[in-house]
Amino acid sequence: MLKLIINDKNITAEEGETILQAALKNNIYIPNLCYDKRLRPYGGCRLCVVEVEGQARLFAACSSPAQDGMNIKTDTPKLRKYRQTVLELLLIHHPLDCPVCDKAGECDLQDLAYEYGKPDSRFIRHRKASLPDVRGPLIELTANRCILCGKCVRICRDHQGRGALGLIGRGFPTVVQPAFGEILECDYCGQCVDICPTGAILSKTFKFKARSWFLEEKETTCPFCGCGCTLTLGLREGNILRSRGKEGIGVSDGNLCGRGRFGIDYINSEHRLKNPLIRENENFREVTWEEALSHISSNLKEMINTNGAESVGAIGSQRCTNEDNYVLQKFMRNTIGSGSIDSSAAFGYAKVQKAWNMAFGRNSHPIDLQSPYGKEIIFIVESDISVTHPIFGLNILEASREGAQLIVADSRETKLTRHSSTWLPIEDGTGVALMNGIMKVLIDKDLINKDSAAGLKGFAELQAMLEEYTPANVSQITGISEEDITAAAVALGTAKSRMIALSVSATENTKGMDIALAAANLTILLGEDPSTLQIPAEYSNTYGLYQSGVRPLKPEDRGIMEILYGDQTAFSALYIMGEDPVTTFPDSSKILKRLKSLDFLVVQDIFMTETAKLANVVLPASSWGEKDGTFTNAEGKVQKVFKVVDPAGDSKPDWMIIKNLALTMEKELGVRSLEDIQAEMKESQPTVTDEETTLTFNPAKYVRGEEPSQEFPFQLVIRDVLQHSGVTSTSSKSLDLVISEALLEINEEDAKKQGVKDNSHVKVTSQHGSIFLKAKVSEEVPQGTVFVPSHFPYAKINTLTHLASNGESPISVVKIEAT
Amino acid sequence: MGGPSGGCIPEELIDIPVTYEDVVKTGAIMGSGGMVVMDEDTCMVSTAKFFLEFTADESCGKCTPCRVGTRVMLDMLTDITEGRGREGDIETLQDLSNDIIATSLCGLGQTAPNPILSTIRYFKDEYEAHIHQKWCKTGICSDLCSFEISEDVCTGCGACARACPQGAIVGEKKKPHSIIQDLCIQCRSCYDRCAFQSIKIGPAKEKDKTAVAVKDQEE
Repeated sequence: MLKLIINDKNITAEEGETILQAALKNNIYIPNLCYDKRLRPYGGCRLCVVEVEGQARLFAACSSPAQDGMNIKTDTPKLRKYRQTVLELLLIHHPLDCPVCDKAGECDLQDLAYEYGKPDSRFIRHRKASLPDVRGPLIELTANRCILCGKCVRICRDHQGRGALGLIGRGFPTVVQPAFGEILECDYCGQCVDICPTGAILSKTFKFKARSWFLEEKETTCPFCGCGCTLTLGLREGNILRSRGKEGIGVSDGNLCGRGRFGIDYINSEHRLKNPLIRENENFREVTWEEALSHISSNLKEMINTNGAESVGAIGSQRCTNEDNYVLQKFMRNTIGSGSIDSSAAFGYAKVQKAWNMAFGRNSHPIDLQSPYGKEIIFIVESDISVTHPIFGLNILEASREGAQLIVADSRETKLTRHSSTWLPIEDGTGVALMNGIMKVLIDKDLINKDSAAGLKGFAELQAMLEEYTPANVSQITGISEEDITAAAVALGTAKSRMIALSVSATENTKGMDIALAAANLTILLGEDPSTLQIPAEYSNTYGLYQSGVRPLKPEDRGIMEILYGDQTAFSALYIMGEDPVTTFPDSSKILKRLKSLDFLVVQDIFMTETAKLANVVLPASSWGEKDGTFTNAEGKVQKVFKVVDPAGDSKPDWMIIKNLALTMEKELGVRSLEDIQAEMKESQPTVTDEETTLTFNPAKYVRGEEPSQEFPFQLVIRDVLQHSGVTSTSSKSLDLVISEALLEINEEDAKKQGVKDNSHVKVTSQHGSIFLKAKVSEEVPQGTVFVPSHFPYAKINTLTHLASNGESPISVVKIEAT
Repeated sequence: MGGPSGGCIPEELIDIPVTYEDVVKTGAIMGSGGMVVMDEDTCMVSTAKFFLEFTADESCGKCTPCRVGTRVMLDMLTDITEGRGREGDIETLQDLSNDIIATSLCGLGQTAPNPILSTIRYFKDEYEAHIHQKWCKTGICSDLCSFEISEDVCTGCGACARACPQGAIVGEKKKPHSIIQDLCIQCRSCYDRCAFQSIKIGPAKEKDKTAVAVKDQEE
């Protein structure tokens, strides 16, 4: 603890804090333009200069460490004069754009000039003149407004790890530009837009929409990934005009990704369902809610009477609120009398939950977004966390900058591999083998506490299974050298603190329950706490979905495998809420067959999805932003979402639709309002307190997906792309500007051999079907594998995939033909 | 002395000891340890501008006072040397210099104003002549001077006429020559050539800039 005096006030500071940080913490404001708490000090603007007793020169508060005994003055006449001069200098060449600049009203330069500047200038000089660079999507650069604080360059390079902007040139003519003055090509996360103190970097989607002082700001939770960031929405006259991050608020603390900043306009899409629809032969007829609900009611009642309640199933949604999901499962269990309810989490996070239960004896698995910090080693396996969970990825990068050793096993180049200490270029789908190999080295080299491990259930079986996972064998399977495998194992074994992270999601086909179990085994073997293993829930409410009971609970309840893939006669009716199985679930031909064979299908969604097109009744649901509720993020934090805009058309919140349906079926749910639901949920779901941990080893063998053959030489790997999250984001016009196509990424050499040209269409055929996609030749992907994103419904990626007998959806093999 | 950030001191101080402290007392710094000796034919305002051109160009651009301040001061000196100096410029230059020195991040910004401050301190008369009389007495700032041959001193040797690139000097052999003002570009070649110091440098004169040398006129 350091003791110092600022403006005659005694304050304390932590070791390592700068004078500015110490002052701000104690509510003493020192003006600054180039400081941000996420960035290392820059010391460029010179506004934060302070007088330190006994020192001949001024100190820049942002760059000077606070020292014990310092006596500092931050607001003397001399300092005020200096700040006036600095601001005078900044304003000389700054264009008089305030009347047409979106930043007006929230511009740091304006605010500081007002507070610390002077009303006139001694200089009349030529103002910098340059046209704004509007060539790229979403982000606009107006160089002549730039005051060269460097924050955009630093946040992009040092925090985001992307480095798309640079300070080009030297001295007075310096400009902030992408390299070679080309179009800005980057993550389009918009961090630069939020951090720029002037109107030099602006969001094109917000341009000229409203003056900042007309905006009403409201905080809500992002609808996309499991991070659950807090978005500060700018609203005006019932419209969401923009979204930004604000420091100090939520788990995101001012950070956001492109989806949260730009992607939320999907709710404004003209394709939103507005009215209930009933199918009449090939077409849909618009009907009233009464007609729709009574139609559903009578049909469902008939199903129940003829085939029994168990013939009705439901699928819940990772994107709907806790309240929506709770009401759906209550409806199924109470009104219908069936426990056959599941969700896409069955292919992803539910497996993690099951693995967690098997390995640690616990039911809840929240992650901690802050967990990368302070760890000696971070091990990421086959997961592009910067894409699936950007804020978690940012923390991992920050931790590695602070000294954590980052070992990343990934088949292709990603942001994480670029910033890693060690990149293990692993063959897709072989993560289980790698982890087994590492465990064998740990045991053989005596790097673990064998006695305590041997005392745990399953150790003998694990050791026996690991016999064949020698470094030589594992090297054969994974493609990683024996030395690297051993080195990774040694590094993990000898480290004092570790974090192991991976993502297991419905939209990825290289991982399943096996890898979660293998990672758990590794965690236990290392003698670590379960919190060392961080597997985040994929979407905004994946975690909450599990907690609200949208899954088989009793032994007789049936899950997704039987609902969609099993015996054709098992189900006669399905109620699908907020999910598009035809697009996102593996083996779409099986799903199509099942859905078409149903007697009755109800789809409740915000868009006419591929699944909805097959329904008997389509119900328009209110989207995120149009209803109140809660999401539970991957940390298990329950966060509110708010109704900030009017529902589209005649849509209603999901929970309300189902409540009304139950009423229509004369078996109401006993809840009238959102508050009722929330009260009931609180009662029925016990808050998870400290659970008992029982450690068990569950040996997980490496099982190969489909083998590449002469006919099907390529492995098909499905991965997310950064600008999208599930299918929802593809309806965003803004994100559409960045990536609107499902591009098949193929290695340069492979492309040459197959005669595939960049940006041309190819026919992709697997043993289950074929589709056409546009190809992108890439230097970042290995040979023998092609990568496709699953976000785009029109691409019908899941025509190519299949389900293995164990319920996993492993790699499929394909052939590529140039067209 | 001390390079472009060092500072300029006058003839009277030539005997000071070359120690760090003594040099600093004069307002200059040891800097690179170099010394350049200039005679009375050097314009100190122009010299200050020359040094500032260097430091403004070398400025890395990170901190506001140096990046913008040196450029602004350079622009002001350019204005002064081209006849656009205004009342108050000297005070503004001093004030700005002090602020730049106090707030700059590194030694470049902290010393770049030295030539300005030291030349204002020791050669203020030159600044004032430039600003108020539009007169550069050394003839370096070509917009602020005019050249005239003293009839009583000129020997008519014709050296200046041969040196003049514009053919602006006319006169018979062994008779006093004269300079056609409209053709003179104030390059100072005649002044440099004259062995008799017969050429006087006066303040700027109004001119008809479209005049063409007799020898270049169409026959």
